[in-house]
Amino acid sequence: MTREIKSLQFFKEAYSARIEQLRDSRDKGMKVVGTFCLFVPDEIIFAAGADRVILCGGRSNTISVAEEYLPRNICPLIKSSFGAVINGSCAGDLACPHFSMVDAIVAEATCDGKKKMYELLHEYIPTYVLDLPQKPDSKSSIDYFESELRKFGRFMEGLTDNMITEEALAREIRSGNETRRMLHRLYDLRRQDPPPIRGSDVIKLLQKQYFLSPDAFRTGLTEVCDEVEKITVTGNKDGPRLMISGCPMPAGNMKVSQIIEDMGASIVVEESCTGTRSFWDLVDEQKDPWTALAERYLKIPCSCMTPNQGRIDSIIELAEKFDVDGVVYYTLQSCHGYNIERYKVGKALKEANIPMLAIETDYSDADLEQIRIRVEAFLEMLS
Amino acid sequence: MISIGIDAGAATTKVVVLKDMTMIGWKVCPTGFDFAKAARDLYEEVLVDEGLVVRDVGLIYATGYGKNAIPFAGRTVSEITAHARGVFFLYPEVAGIIDIGGQDSKVIVVDHGRVQDFLMNDKCAAGTGKFLEYSAKALEVSIEELGDLALTSNNPAKISSMCTVFAESEVISLRAKGYAKKDIAAGLVVSIAQRIAVMAKRMGLKENVAFVGGVAKNRAMKAALEAELGLKLYIPDLPQITGALGAALQQSRAVKSSSTQSKGS
Repeated sequence: MTREIKSLQFFKEAYSARIEQLRDSRDKGMKVVGTFCLFVPDEIIFAAGADRVILCGGRSNTISVAEEYLPRNICPLIKSSFGAVINGSCAGDLACPHFSMVDAIVAEATCDGKKKMYELLHEYIPTYVLDLPQKPDSKSSIDYFESELRKFGRFMEGLTDNMITEEALAREIRSGNETRRMLHRLYDLRRQDPPPIRGSDVIKLLQKQYFLSPDAFRTGLTEVCDEVEKITVTGNKDGPRLMISGCPMPAGNMKVSQIIEDMGASIVVEESCTGTRSFWDLVDEQKDPWTALAERYLKIPCSCMTPNQGRIDSIIELAEKFDVDGVVYYTLQSCHGYNIERYKVGKALKEANIPMLAIETDYSDADLEQIRIRVEAFLEMLS
Repeated sequence: MISIGIDAGAATTKVVVLKDMTMIGWKVCPTGFDFAKAARDLYEEVLVDEGLVVRDVGLIYATGYGKNAIPFAGRTVSEITAHARGVFFLYPEVAGIIDIGGQDSKVIVVDHGRVQDFLMNDKCAAGTGKFLEYSAKALEVSIEELGDLALTSNNPAKISSMCTVFAESEVISLRAKGYAKKDIAAGLVVSIAQRIAVMAKRMGLKENVAFVGGVAKNRAMKAALEAELGLKLYIPDLPQITGALGAALQQSRAVKSSSTQSKGS
């Protein structure tokens, strides 16, 4: 069943307006930073009076230029992102034009591939790397991360010449939580059967979360939620209800979600950076803002953390909450973290009696048919 | 009732004719470039052979890589489901299926003909019929001879490359080192068996395992796989056609489920 959500048009049109806005802001002296990851708290950037834009690459057309510098067998997200930067500083159609609009990049010490790529990126654009503890389940990790966040705050203060006040930080935390609550509202609507909104539409919407300004994102999101809320779901089930779990799907990367929906299944939840990981936990507004941020952000169940039991718990919780029939475990080639965690997730899902299909792929179209066959057989198995 | 299943595989096209759940005819031919033409020709031939006309035939189910390219097939079913159905028809007790085809290999966990889980090879040709084909070419023997040749070896050469293209150059360097043809052939067979065995073990296959697909006709491959897995494999007389058989069986299933539905409503 096709449900066209009219208000999604807002997100399609928001692109050029946002580029325009960033250009204006920079002309007026505002600093803009580029980010690649959920671990970089927006709140600190906004509290310093700067703006931000996500730079994660989801397209294949910048990969070949990246391979002039980077090894072939690293993940396509890293190559796509890097290729977009070095591709003539974004002059051509190939790259996203956002790179030319950032004063600095705020990177993060997540996976090895990204860390080393950032070193090369630094030769093109000043790149600040936020360090992360890799074993998140201890008080000392949170303390260390808090100190890293404060250091990052001082970097932002230096870049913008603005002081980050406690009030500003608290205000931005409230703003971030407002966005998170709205996304919870949207996801709650998806628990209906059949779901009133296509999963691929939600993924595209989330791809804009760190691209648009929070205000614009919330304006569009509210319209979408209001429209979706009015839809009365009727009729038969749409086919199996699936969760996508694994690597992020940045803008341009819709290959697998498209195949799943073309084959007649519904995607009802994404345990991913372009999904629940981005908004599931709120920041505690009662605590010291720096501590609260450190605690909240270290809860992100990224596979670069060890152990990462939080992710498995989250998958099982989401599977029940969204009443899924199966899980598509989606990974990018050479993403060791998520590829290795597949074993543990598969085991936990087996114990919970939830079938899982693992798909490891890249940004090319070379394996479309192979993926279709696997998805088709998986759906037949579930029906 | 006549049901027909067509398996439009990457290397060969297979057709099976069922009459009241008994197999009365089958045919296999190379697919060539045109999936649709191979399927159409084979279908027409099998009708002539069995003395049937088009209106005798109910819904045709297609499976295999080219299944969507066959205009006269009414419905399609995935290769995985088709093999599970076909093998269940032959061996109801089977709990696991290994299928090595021309372009991919699969390991399927089944329970009473229903797919429980499955694993397919990575997207390259390693561990598939294509690998054997290239290997045979490098050894300058036919693919049929390769298996018999391998069986005569007591000392299989070690083949370390899994890549079809690299294996070919590895074969050349082994030949240059003076290895006997039979030992290289055996080494190639063992290298595929090892790769498939890893997939089978990952899926937890332990007993009652069937081996199907064109490569199952290769006796050396059967022996090597059995040695790797430590079990005896079920191999049907016609291991190539279980997919087409499963596709043909889909019709009886469709008839059954629609009649159950009408009873229920």
